Amino acid sequence: MSVELVGIHPTRLELLRLRRRRALADGIIDILKKDLEALIVTLFEFLKQIPSIRDQMYQAQNEAYDLFIEAKMITGSKKIEELSLVAQPTDFDITTGTKKGVLGISFPSFGFTEGTARISEPRFSILDSPASLDESALRMRGALKYIIRLAEAEASIREILEVISIKKRQINRLEYRILPELDAAIRYIELILEETERQDAIRVRVLQRKRKERATKLS
Amino acid sequence: MNVWKYKRISPKVIAAKLSLIKPEDMANLAGRNLTYIQSMLTKTQYRPEIIAMPTEKLSSLSLETAFLKNFIRTCEKIMEWSPKDIRFLLHVVLKKLEVGNIKAMLRAKVANIRVDEALEYITPVGRLNEARCRRILESSNNVNDVVELLLDLEYGLVLMDVLREYEKTGVLLLLEIALDKYVYGELWRAAEKLNGLDKKIAETVLGIEIASVNIKVILRCRAMGSSEDKIRRNLIPISGVFEGKELEETIEVADIEAFVKRLSTIPKLSLTRDYQYMLTDIQREYSASRSLPRLETALDKSLLKTNRRMLKRYTPFFNIGLILAFLNLKWFEVRNLRAIVNGIEDGVSPSKIRKLLILPI
Repeated sequence: MSVELVGIHPTRLELLRLRRRRALADGIIDILKKDLEALIVTLFEFLKQIPSIRDQMYQAQNEAYDLFIEAKMITGSKKIEELSLVAQPTDFDITTGTKKGVLGISFPSFGFTEGTARISEPRFSILDSPASLDESALRMRGALKYIIRLAEAEASIREILEVISIKKRQINRLEYRILPELDAAIRYIELILEETERQDAIRVRVLQRKRKERATKLS
Repeated sequence: MNVWKYKRISPKVIAAKLSLIKPEDMANLAGRNLTYIQSMLTKTQYRPEIIAMPTEKLSSLSLETAFLKNFIRTCEKIMEWSPKDIRFLLHVVLKKLEVGNIKAMLRAKVANIRVDEALEYITPVGRLNEARCRRILESSNNVNDVVELLLDLEYGLVLMDVLREYEKTGVLLLLEIALDKYVYGELWRAAEKLNGLDKKIAETVLGIEIASVNIKVILRCRAMGSSEDKIRRNLIPISGVFEGKELEETIEVADIEAFVKRLSTIPKLSLTRDYQYMLTDIQREYSASRSLPRLETALDKSLLKTNRRMLKRYTPFFNIGLILAFLNLKWFEVRNLRAIVNGIEDGVSPSKIRKLLILPI
């Protein structure tokens, strides 16, 4: 990997500054790795919840569909279709918000609120429809709650994955870009300083030799 | 009681009763496919309707229509054979189907669907033949227009009474409830016009039917959490046994079991036997299943049992019991066939389909 070394002052002060930056970068990488671990633990917690919520949702939906088929069998598909023409749609709303989670990340939060409008009114003619149709609608309403919980968990997972990817990018940037740059710059300054020291030592030795030669001539 | 008036109809109804599909054959149909059912039905009373079905696509929908048409044809045939007073009662039975067509037209207008689409929900019967229904649907833009076009029939006047409330609230159920109340009222009045044993049998059978409708209304409305006023609005205010006020008082009872227990204490002693059987049946069913749909099935079964009891209790040839029992058996046969074809089309297991059948066993 080529490292841009132009503009680096090969001084001891710069070397100290770069070493301090390197130590700081190491510290940041540690912190980021710990964050990443915490995020992965939370991700697995959410992932563990998903199958159970999904199972509950499927169960509620299956029960609702079974009851709907039962209603169709009792009343006939034509009558059910006819009743659906004027059935009041289920009145509900989904509230969206955020809640603070691990590392202070804002997770999406969805709430299910049942509408107040005609909640206790029969939605279809009681004489023309069987009780299984009401039960089916009721179970589907129950399934809606699980659908919303599942959506919330999936949105949180997406959020965590996004943060994990940001953290990973940050760690990678530090590990594979910043640290090598700093190491290269430190090495470069160290080399320059070593070279300067060697030159100084040679120069001192030459001066000493010349001084000795001059002293010998004079004596 | 003049028993001679039954000399023509009783043998014909007995013959028609023999041509009903046997319970074991019906249960076996649950494990077959639609093509088999279609070909099997061509060997029964359903042949004319099955042959007249559109051939391009066999579906539960086309079969359902054929079954209903067969029921209507059977009712009309029995009406033709019946003495005058019984013909009047059967005419009112057919009014239930006419009311079904009016409800379909009203729903179609609210949903604003095309005329041809709306006609698919209508099975021509009595005075509401296809041409008349088409004319009403084509010449009306809204519910008010439909009601106006029905003013030459009694239904128009019934609907007119609640039209203003409908205009205020926009709740179509108000009109539907008014029609149901009217038709059950007419049915009850027709039963009251009969004499002697016929009257007793008709009042018991129809009374049980109306009581079971009211029990369904109360239980379902309570399950939905409807207010007492709303439940009262949905009740059919007629009964042979439950006084209107007493029935309304049961609305306040907390749970379903207590509700049924309370109901069992209400019936008048003289007529109580058949109602007690019905209430015991539903109490037993609810204790076992804790399910409202199962309780409804038990109510339907108890209606069929009442008919059978009427046949056993009184000599079947010289009273209305045989005709009412046959009509109910025919209706439940249609319902069972409908359940079977819909269940097969939706891939329901035969054992589950059989559980939903209401068989006279």
